[in-house]
Amino acid sequence: MTTAARDILMPAEWRDFWALTKPRVMSLVVFTALCGLLAAPGNIHPIIAFTAVLCIALGAGACGSLNQWYEADVDAKMARTAQRPLPAGRMDREAALHFGVGLAAFSVGIMGVAVNWLSAGLLAFSIFFYSIVYTIWLKPNTPQNIVIGGAAGAFPPVIGWAAVTGDVTFLPFLLFAIIFLWTPPHFWALALFMKTDYGAAGIPMLPNVKGQRVTRNQIFGYSFPMGGAAILPFILGDSGWLYGATSMLLSGVFLILAFRVWQNEATDAAAMKPEKQLFAFSILYLFLLFALFAIDRMVIA
Amino acid sequence: MTQPEQSPYTVEETALIRKRQAARSRLMGVALVGLCILFFLITIVKVGVWG
Repeated sequence: MTTAARDILMPAEWRDFWALTKPRVMSLVVFTALCGLLAAPGNIHPIIAFTAVLCIALGAGACGSLNQWYEADVDAKMARTAQRPLPAGRMDREAALHFGVGLAAFSVGIMGVAVNWLSAGLLAFSIFFYSIVYTIWLKPNTPQNIVIGGAAGAFPPVIGWAAVTGDVTFLPFLLFAIIFLWTPPHFWALALFMKTDYGAAGIPMLPNVKGQRVTRNQIFGYSFPMGGAAILPFILGDSGWLYGATSMLLSGVFLILAFRVWQNEATDAAAMKPEKQLFAFSILYLFLLFALFAIDRMVIA
Repeated sequence: MTQPEQSPYTVEETALIRKRQAARSRLMGVALVGLCILFFLITIVKVGVWG
C-alpha cells in the first residue's frame, strides 16, 4: 500500500470540512443576505432572522462543497486551489459530496419549516443554479460562465428579503441586479492577472478565449449598468440621501478604476496594478453599498 | 484457527486518526447541542409564547 493511498483513508480534519465551505465567499453571502433581511419592510423575530441567515450560510457552504467535489481535478492544476482538501489528498471525494448534499438538504428543510417556503424555494434554486448550471454546465463550456453564473451569488439578498416579507418585489430584484452586474467586472479583473492559472486548468475564462482587450472592454462596459442599478433605489425613492450620495461616490470610483483597466495594455500580471486595484475595490464596493443600503432603509423605517 | 488481523496503520497513524475522530466528535457534539437549543427556541417562537 502506498503512502498516498493510506493518506486518503485517513479521516479528514474538521478544518478540511470548514475549508470545503469556502468561508470567504460564505462571509460575503451572509453579509448580503443580512442586508436584504434588514432592508426589507416588516418585522421578523430575531430567532427566525438568525435561523434564516444560518440556513443561507449553510446553503452557501453546500454550494462550495459541491463545487469543490466536482472541480477537484481542475483545482489540482491551479496554484491558487491546489492546496484545497480534495486536490491535496486530505479528504476523499465521496465525503465532500455527502457533506455538500447533506448541508443543502438540511438548510433548505430548516428554512422551509422555520422561516417560509418561498425563501426555502429560492435557496434550493440558488444551490441548484450554482452547483449544476454554473459549476457543471457553464463554467467548463463558455467564457460567459460567470455572467450567467453570477446570478447564483446574487440570490442571497433576495432570500433575506423573502424571509421577512414572504414575497419578492422590485426592490430585492434591484439588489439582485447590483450583484449580478457587479460579478463580471469583479471576476474578470481577477481572471486578467490570474490568466495563466485558469488557462492551465482549461477553464474558458474570457481573457483566455477572447483576449485581454475584449475583457477590458467588457469590464468597463459592465461598470455602467452596475453603477446605474446601484443608484436606482435612490432615484426610485426607495432609499435616502445617505445611500444615494454614497452609491454615486462609490460607483464613480468604480468607473474610474474600470476606466484605468480599460486603458491598460499590459500583458504581464506584474504590470496589472489597475486590475488588482479594481478587484480589491470591488469587494469593498459591494460591502459598503449593501451596508449603507441596509442602514439607510432602517433609518427610513 | 485464524490469525488476529493486523492493522494497516502504524502506531503514530492510529494516534492521529483517534485525535481527528475525537476533534470531529467534539465539534459534532457542540453543533448538535446548538441545534437542539435553536430548534427549541424556534418552537417557542412558532407557538407564540413570545408573541
